[in-house]
Amino acid sequence: MVFMRIKVLIDDIGGGILFLGQIILTAIRTPAKIDLTLEQIYKVTAQSFATTAMAGFFVGAIMTIQFTMQLNEFSALEYLGGISTSATLREVGPLLIAFMLSGKVGAFTAAELGTMRVTEQIDAIRCLGANPIREIIVPRFFGIVTASFVLLSGGLVLSIIGGLLMGGLFAEVSFQEYVRHIPTLVTMPSIFNGLFKSFVFAFLIATICTYRGYTATGGAKGVGKAVLQTAVACMIAIVLSDWVTTVFTDTALTLIRGE
Amino acid sequence: MFELELQQVSHQFSHDELLKNVSLQIRKGEKWVLIGPSGQGKTTLLKTLAGILAPTEGRVLIQGQNLLALRGEKRDQLQRKMGMLFQKNALFDSLTVADNVAFPLRETTRLPESEIQRRVQFYLNSVGLEHVLHNFPDEISGGMQKRLGIARALALEPEIIFYDDPTAGLDPITSRKIIELILDLQKKNNSTLVAITNDMKRAYQMADRIGFVLRGNFILTGTVEETRQHSDQRVQQFIRGALQGPLTAGVS
Repeated sequence: MVFMRIKVLIDDIGGGILFLGQIILTAIRTPAKIDLTLEQIYKVTAQSFATTAMAGFFVGAIMTIQFTMQLNEFSALEYLGGISTSATLREVGPLLIAFMLSGKVGAFTAAELGTMRVTEQIDAIRCLGANPIREIIVPRFFGIVTASFVLLSGGLVLSIIGGLLMGGLFAEVSFQEYVRHIPTLVTMPSIFNGLFKSFVFAFLIATICTYRGYTATGGAKGVGKAVLQTAVACMIAIVLSDWVTTVFTDTALTLIRGE
Repeated sequence: MFELELQQVSHQFSHDELLKNVSLQIRKGEKWVLIGPSGQGKTTLLKTLAGILAPTEGRVLIQGQNLLALRGEKRDQLQRKMGMLFQKNALFDSLTVADNVAFPLRETTRLPESEIQRRVQFYLNSVGLEHVLHNFPDEISGGMQKRLGIARALALEPEIIFYDDPTAGLDPITSRKIIELILDLQKKNNSTLVAITNDMKRAYQMADRIGFVLRGNFILTGTVEETRQHSDQRVQQFIRGALQGPLTAGVS
């Protein structure tokens, strides 16, 4: 039983990697559908901007409140802006916003593609002499990667604003005081770290939701299953990749600094 | 060379054998109808013929070429010679009626937009849908959806066309009209036609030859007259719709 589950998991991961290879090869070999990709970018951004903006804003705000309580004990509130912004940009911001995006964009895309699969629309595209990967997957994949990256980055900017606002309202730290130590603690590598993570998460969400939707089977129940699997797989992939990227970027920084 | 050929094709899914060692040959311009009880392999056979499903054993030849062994543009080119009406139409629900028909033309040809619009108009006129060009598929009736599926399948003027139960869920008059339309368009293009139906009147109306599919086995019953006189009692029970017989033996 356990071995069967492991086999299914390995099959799934292998299937996902092959599917990703197919997307990339198709994108390289055939002319890009720029109009469809732009349409996807617009759709994903318009659908999820409010959610990610809100998530970003409140993540920053919550982090500031949490750090206020801790730093107050050490009378070190002058570091509030730096610590809160650094923690949000490097870790919590990308992670939580990616969770929100996987629930919204990932589930929507898996449901949309799954419905197309079970209603034979994907078979119909193939039957009409067109390539379904090129027609519906490549534009969605690159659309989701681009839009999610933009949304995650935008969410991080809003998290800084949320933190700044809460620093003034909750901790009574002035604007100048709040931003004074940000450059000390939020270095270029921190920003790069946050953006790199955002890109990795966007890439994973796009791969998982398109793969799950494209391979859905079994009518409405199958679509529901694909959506559920997308949500679970995205969460696990985001957490695991967060750990991997943290180790990777920290190691890379240590090597670059020659420590 | 046959237009379509199956060579000892078997199709297994999980532990179920959906097709068992099926061989058949279809000549250019022939009209074939597949009949048989529900859930016994007709759609699997049709999709295998159309290259949508890969058999687990055997070969599928379309105009002498193994579609599933072809890759890239060669495969797409051969695929464009075929059209298919799906059982549930498989219309693109995010596109309008006109765009559904224009889709294959825009995506697989280099025709100018004016010519695409001319063809869209022509095929939608042929199926009597010229008045709902800008509607979406879920805004038109089941019969109209069926006709739209036919128009879309014909838009590339395919040499081989597959119809999966073209009259399912339609009233007898609309069914008859749809079959007449299918036959008119087949005659006009001299295309090869393979259709599934369980409506024997429509099967007799369409077929040059009839095949019976039962538990993954294929039995060629012959022309309309040969099918009516066929010695297999299972075929006789099916075409007469009799409650008693070998197909229902042991079923209370």
